[in-house]
Amino acid sequence: MAEENAVPTRLIAGQKTLLSRTMHDIRYDAVHDEFIVTNPFAQAILVFRGGADGEEPPIRVIQGPSTQLKRPDRVDVDPVHNEIFVPSVDRILVFPREGNGDVAPIRVIQGPDTRLRTSTLAVDPVHNVIVTSVGRALFTFNRTDEGNVKPRTVIDGPQTAITRINQLQIYSPKGWIVAAQPGGSGMEPEEEIFVGVWSINDSGDVPPRWKIGGPKSLLKKPRGVALNPKNKELIVADMRLNTILTYYFPEIF
Amino acid sequence: MARASCVVQKISVTAVISLVIAVAAWVLFTGEAKQREWSAASEAALRRPTGYPQLVSSDPMPMADGMMGGEMCQWVPASTNTTLVAALQQEQMAANRSAPALDEDRPAVDADREPIRMIRDTYPTYSAVAVDVNTNEVYLQDENLFGFKVFNRLDNTPPNATMTEPKRMVGGLRTKLEFNCGLYLDQNTGDVYSVNNDTVNTLVIFGREARGNVPPKRELATPHGTFGIAVDEQNQELFLTIQHDNAVVVYNKMAADDEAPLRLLQGDRTELEDPHGIAVDSKNNWMFVSNHGSVHQVRPDVGPDQGDIAVTGLPTQRRERKENWPLDRDRALRGSGQSDPPSISIYSIKAEGDTPPLRVIEGPETQLNWPAAMFVDSERGELYVANDADDSVLVFRMTDSGDVAPTRVIKGPKTGIKNPTGIFVDLKNDEMWVSNMGNHSATVFPRAANGDVAPLRTIRSAPLGKQALAIGNPGAAGYDSKREEILVPN
Repeated sequence: MAEENAVPTRLIAGQKTLLSRTMHDIRYDAVHDEFIVTNPFAQAILVFRGGADGEEPPIRVIQGPSTQLKRPDRVDVDPVHNEIFVPSVDRILVFPREGNGDVAPIRVIQGPDTRLRTSTLAVDPVHNVIVTSVGRALFTFNRTDEGNVKPRTVIDGPQTAITRINQLQIYSPKGWIVAAQPGGSGMEPEEEIFVGVWSINDSGDVPPRWKIGGPKSLLKKPRGVALNPKNKELIVADMRLNTILTYYFPEIF
Repeated sequence: MARASCVVQKISVTAVISLVIAVAAWVLFTGEAKQREWSAASEAALRRPTGYPQLVSSDPMPMADGMMGGEMCQWVPASTNTTLVAALQQEQMAANRSAPALDEDRPAVDADREPIRMIRDTYPTYSAVAVDVNTNEVYLQDENLFGFKVFNRLDNTPPNATMTEPKRMVGGLRTKLEFNCGLYLDQNTGDVYSVNNDTVNTLVIFGREARGNVPPKRELATPHGTFGIAVDEQNQELFLTIQHDNAVVVYNKMAADDEAPLRLLQGDRTELEDPHGIAVDSKNNWMFVSNHGSVHQVRPDVGPDQGDIAVTGLPTQRRERKENWPLDRDRALRGSGQSDPPSISIYSIKAEGDTPPLRVIEGPETQLNWPAAMFVDSERGELYVANDADDSVLVFRMTDSGDVAPTRVIKGPKTGIKNPTGIFVDLKNDEMWVSNMGNHSATVFPRAANGDVAPLRTIRSAPLGKQALAIGNPGAAGYDSKREEILVPN
């Protein structure tokens, strides 16, 4: 329930954390009470104790030549099947959740049929679907896909209004894809900035089912999304506002 | 022998799927249920209708008297959702039937609404500091609200005051100031050089009298992820650290627009590892770079992979058409990442290419912890380091090497130093300035201060004791359902 000028309840920072000061994803694993962060500069996936605080080291680190990691900006965890998913440009890497050190991925989705050019994804362990953003499109794959496979569905076209997607979430109970679209990378005010919601079964040139991003929302450059189903809330990280905004959004829960 | 009877239960497909999904979802998103239940739902969801029986699971049969022979039904424990899974198995359901179906004609629902809460810091947080010794003004980079603020050098916020008002401010979209971290003030002209980190690949330069939402008088397109800045006035050269590419680029000081760097320092032998601060010593011709320690290798013959998309929006090859442009992360060697200790690497001021440092200050004795901006005092042979994560300022000898202890450490509750990322030594007035990202303030000490000493003066832009929110360039969010906390990486 933190609001304006709050003080963080915990602050994880410092050399021993192995964090960089550039992080683009964080995921909480409620089953194992852990959270996962990427360090893109060190090409590392860092797993922390759920209650980590201060200059606390990660409990596991996936890093090294066998990992194939490159530009690991974003990440997601499947606590049901104990897997970590990392988008890595032309491929999606899947690691064992408890992997530690220089571990090879247990599966790789890669090849010309995948058409992957990605840096973000989310995994739905209930419907067994991965959603990832590729250019102006959202692709879904089956969770267990491997190798050179075609996307299961492609959401693409002018009606989607997709220009660039950052963080993705899937709300598994209803199969909703929740996507943050921050607009371009320049300083100019953007028009197509919003948080959009699609179904995992959507395909083709379809608009989002819901869209938050008008003047009431105050959003300027939404890059992150998280969900709090208990309170039916959508949490948005806005880069330009340097702010976390929370919306009551019962429609999707 | 008791004979089990096999009964096929007809259960509504929709109702069962909904229940399973609801259970799984409740577990998944409240964090209050067990992995086994999620797993059951997921396994059921994975299956697709085939029109014929499928093997859906195999469980050990319970051993019981009289059950060693004859036909048996699969044993299903009562009162668990495995029962539901069994029902799902019989009905050969597909998970995607539980998700909304495609409805091509449905319009997007404009769900625009006001936020019910906003977590933000409404006060400035100061990432860098410089003093104009000619005008007795202090410039503070405000990385939270995007701009810089100018104060009188002798301003001192009283303890009971909420803040000190700045003399003037520069900020707004026209200024192109965003996550502005590095700062250089030209003592001859009064020009203000402001480095943007991560989101704007432009160095912006303002005149001394700039005020409000004004465009910069000069701009320079830079590689992505600049952090530190230093200027060699003697040779009229400008140095920038490139955090993302583990590089240093050197420009003509008056470079503008798309001018290419004069030199590039990058490569495995340089030991540049997530470089942040930079300082140059024109007297001894040395360059000092502070490193956080995260590093990966880049190779001209690696990648880019199909689909490498420049953060600048340009394909890799087009960006690299400039001379002395760093190889960026598109050229990263997969799996080459390392997490090394923090360090300060020292080079010749003219170093370029894949040149190793002359010396490296590194090791536990150094107390380095996310070292940020630095300042060189050539006359006294001292190197000042804003030591972000240790809430301290470290002073080394410029000739130090290896695992050496600093000669002075300014640290402790009296200092008011909190997450210092900027430092400036005012050699004219014999004072040392520190910008504190962690508490909305800048503190000034005697130049030779040591230990837990109170500042001479403090410029504060928030109520006394107000800790900074510490949100900076939030690229994502997470939710800890157990603690009911929002997680924000920065």
